[in-house]
Amino acid sequence: MVFVAVGVFLLSNSAETLDQVAEQFGASTSPLWTPPIPEYEVPGFQGNLALNMAVGIVFTLLILAVTIGIGKGLLLLKRKA
Amino acid sequence: MHIPDGFLDLSICAITYALTAVFWIFAFRNAGRHLSEKQIPLMGTLTAVFFAAQMMNYPVISGTTAHLLGGPILAITLGPYAGLISMTIIILIQTLVFGDGGITTFGANIWNMGVVGVFIPYIIYLLAMRIARSQKGMYVGAFLGALIGDVVAAMCAGLELGLSTLSFPYSVSIAVAAMVAHHSIIGILEGIITVAILSILQRTRPDLLKLPKLSPSWLGGN
Repeated sequence: MVFVAVGVFLLSNSAETLDQVAEQFGASTSPLWTPPIPEYEVPGFQGNLALNMAVGIVFTLLILAVTIGIGKGLLLLKRKA
Repeated sequence: MHIPDGFLDLSICAITYALTAVFWIFAFRNAGRHLSEKQIPLMGTLTAVFFAAQMMNYPVISGTTAHLLGGPILAITLGPYAGLISMTIIILIQTLVFGDGGITTFGANIWNMGVVGVFIPYIIYLLAMRIARSQKGMYVGAFLGALIGDVVAAMCAGLELGLSTLSFPYSVSIAVAAMVAHHSIIGILEGIITVAILSILQRTRPDLLKLPKLSPSWLGGN
């Protein structure tokens, strides 16, 4: 939660090296997929720190649940084998 | 270091998907055999923590930002196969939900951050521990592992971009040099943060560092 809060409120500006290198060399993206929350900001609510923080927390918890689910699934397969 | 769609030629995408698939097969097979009940909550927590940590972008050089990858700590605490599974979950959500990284380049992104960014730090960490069997050796190994792992992962990304002659009209040497220059700095920061986390774990929960590792047999695993 601390990482999400600090990331959203203090260090949210992202300018990755790869993007800068690509821009410098004139490469362009051609996305195959329109993500529901592009650039970690809910469309129509850009700059809404509280909402972005909530999104960060929800997805952090989702990742926790998904990883535990996969772990439990693997354990179940191990027991069946 | 998340490569978006359109930056790599399809042949490079196919090769990196194939290489990564080999590691996925071994990682999931190993986890299916050796993952224990005790490791699951730690794996879940560390995966969630490093997803959140990757949202924190700090400024580095020339107006660029960087974030912690987490591969070295995941590998040191849980083993490289578990690290690969964790990084796959993180990057999959980042790709599908946030558009951070492409779908055609997903194999390349996992190869760079989930295979190279996890196995190289772990191998260097193990080597350092074998040379200097002390706490100092552990920290030196973790620092060098994180630094070199980050630089080699950046070299791989540069190589993939440089070899993508249709999408990226610059030579391998130019692409690799551009990526490595920045990631040397980012690697030092990754190394410092890795040592800091390791030092906190060593002081507060040393038991977590002694858990069995999900790792290939040639790296001391089952």
